[in-house]
Parts: sequence; C-alpha cells; structure tokens
Amino acid sequence: MRQDKIDFIRLLKGYRKGWVAISHDFKRVVFHGENLKETMKKAKDVKEKLYYFPVGESYSNFVGI
Amino acid sequence: MIHTIKYSLLPGFERTGVLAPILPVTFINGKYEMSSFALVDSGAEYGLISTIIAEALNIDWIKLPKKQGFTASGSFVYHTAKNIEAEVFGHNFRLSLNIAEGINAFKCILGRNDIFKQAKITFEGCKNQFYIEFRNLN
Repeated sequence: MRQDKIDFIRLLKGYRKGWVAISHDFKRVVFHGENLKETMKKAKDVKEKLYYFPVGESYSNFVGI
Repeated sequence: MIHTIKYSLLPGFERTGVLAPILPVTFINGKYEMSSFALVDSGAEYGLISTIIAEALNIDWIKLPKKQGFTASGSFVYHTAKNIEAEVFGHNFRLSLNIAEGINAFKCILGRNDIFKQAKITFEGCKNQFYIEFRNLN
C-alpha cells in the first residue's frame, strides 16, 4: 500500500501569483513562473515529473460546498 | 496496489477546514504532456479541465464543437477533446476531456466515465482519506 499526502498549504506558502512546478514526490516547489507557459519552459530540461498548479488564486470553487 | 491519499486542504480553506480528494494526474496529447492535480468527483460524468490546461496540451479547443453543460451551481460552455491519454500512479488510460470556458485555471476534474471506470475508489471520510486501486484489465 502506498500512502500520499499533498500539502498544498505548505507548498504554496509564500507564492502570491503565477504557477508553480511541484516535485514528483509532492514535497517541494521546483520552479515558479508568472504563467503556466513560463513555468513549463523553465522545467523543460528537467527529467523528473513535475506537477503544475496555479498560486495566489481563490480555490473556493475547486470543490462544491 | 492500493494507494491511500489523504484529502487535501487548499489555501483559503484553513479556517473552514474543507478538504478535497485530489489526485495527481498527467494528461498526454501526442508529444504534449502536462501534470497537475484533479478533483476526484463521483458527481461528474466526465473529466473536465480549464482552457489553460488544454492549451498546455496543445488542444485546439476553440475548433471543437461548443456545448452547454450543467452543474449544481449553474451552466457552463465546454468543448470535448476525445481520446486524450491520462496517467495516474503509473496506470494509463484514455478519456474524453471536457474543456470548460471561463473557469479557474486550476480546474481539473476526473469523473465517473474515466477514473471511476479504471479503479475502485473508496472514500473514508472519517479518516479524511481515500483509496484507489486500479483494475487489472488484462
């Protein structure tokens, strides 16, 4: 059994806007950019899988409440 | 293998403590690939992504037929991209993705006709976690 936890609070802390690229183990932000395109461009030579997520947004409608 | 994933707390929800079942997912469209995080939504018939994510996958969504969809909170305009590949915890599958106009960039949902057909998903709310076990289709 594999266990995962994605701590968005810790990961996105300190970032006000733009997009971040999060490491494959969900433990750290590897890159940050003003937009998704810029962030992906910064990561283009990185072989590990990175997960992209926007920061500084209101996530209130990520889930239905 | 059974994956156990803790529900996630997103920024802005610290006071309310609202948690979300979120999965890491990679979408692949030919040579274009984009990994992000999707809400696991048994109330969604199909997967859904924002136009921002669609453009990162080089999907020319504007050229796809426009349709109207409905949610509990209202209606939305979307376009369907078929035969997109997805990968979750090493399990690959194909799906149709609805690309919704005018929604937040982070919007990414997996629903009943994709992830729920690929895996057994069990929600254990009392522990704020869910389990996902992919079916062996061979």
